[in-house]
Amino acid sequence: MARDLAIDLGTANTLVYMKGRGIVLNEPSVIALNRQTGEVLATGREAWQMIGRTPGYIVAVRPLRGGAITDFEITERMIRLLLQRVGVSRFTRPKVVICVPSAITEVERRAVTDAARRAGAADANLIEQPMAAAIGADLPIDEPVGNMVIDIGGGTSETAVISLGGIVALEAVRVGSFDIDAAIQNYIRREHGIAVGERTAEEIKMAIGSADPTPQESQAEVRGRDLMTGLPKTVILTPEEIRYAIEDVVSSIVASVVRCLSKAPPELSQDFLVRGMYLVGGGGLLRGLAARIERETEVPVRMSNVPLEAVVLGAGHVIEHYDALKGMFMGARR
Amino acid sequence: MIWIIVAAVTVIVVIGALVLNARQRRVNDGVDSFRRQIDALSPEARRPVIDQVQKQTDADDTVDETHDAQDDPDGA
Repeated sequence: MARDLAIDLGTANTLVYMKGRGIVLNEPSVIALNRQTGEVLATGREAWQMIGRTPGYIVAVRPLRGGAITDFEITERMIRLLLQRVGVSRFTRPKVVICVPSAITEVERRAVTDAARRAGAADANLIEQPMAAAIGADLPIDEPVGNMVIDIGGGTSETAVISLGGIVALEAVRVGSFDIDAAIQNYIRREHGIAVGERTAEEIKMAIGSADPTPQESQAEVRGRDLMTGLPKTVILTPEEIRYAIEDVVSSIVASVVRCLSKAPPELSQDFLVRGMYLVGGGGLLRGLAARIERETEVPVRMSNVPLEAVVLGAGHVIEHYDALKGMFMGARR
Repeated sequence: MIWIIVAAVTVIVVIGALVLNARQRRVNDGVDSFRRQIDALSPEARRPVIDQVQKQTDADDTVDETHDAQDDPDGA
């Protein structure tokens, strides 16, 4: 008999929680395929290392964009391989809870559940990411008080107000940390005339990227391909430049938080001033982002203790208390 | 004739009682399931999952420290 699973099927990373065991898998949501035969060559971390460095016959792809499946068949194969790695086989079919962005359409929901069922799940149910994040971040959502969670993932940013185990207000934008990487890539191409890859842009973001000025800032030396000559070239980037490059993406995330705050009922709004908002997700680790949101909303922002694992922990808790919490699934009668 | 009326009234009363009972049970089911959901979301109920992951994180940190110490025997 297979142990039931909770899956955080993220644009950037996929995490799997096994009932009674904890987190058993944490890998990038990437799959490498042979372009000619369609054969899977690698998944997860191994495939991630291949991005931008593959010969012509290999393609390393992220089958999810903006939290939604862009390639159904490849996603199904990726989920199947990930489930196999945690012990799911043709004879052991577990119940699966999958975290998805709250803004996905009915068609996208069906695509995720179908992919999981075809990949070996006996039953697949979906839960909204902000709800799972709030459970995993250990917020007191069982109480009649306003809890606000901001989940910034690879492809989506979602802000939710949660009270008494339900979502009261929600705001989601299909913008995330991959858009920050893309903005950095575009800026370097436009202003410095060199091309850098997706992974280099991510490294720049992690090294000197920030949403607000921070103490002890340093510059970064970046190597890429000169667009004019085609030769390798090195440029020096400053944190101010990166802030300028990513300003549109950061503004869009902050604006969605402000919109969510304005949707919250007044009785719950006053709780945020005392309790603050909680930031989760890999995108939330961008330096200065908490300070920027705090400055623009005048509400304290706190970082979760487990920003990267909060969503899968929340879904894991749901799988541990499946019968009591099945009313929280998307599409369930509340 | 009277027996037919008595039987009809009895049937109506029984059906009415069953309907009321079912409705009451539905109300109670709603209360019970909401209570179960809120209880399952309490910090006490969530503690085992959080602790389990905390233990995993601590174990990973210990492994990392051991590796670091092996990589750098002088501790520099």
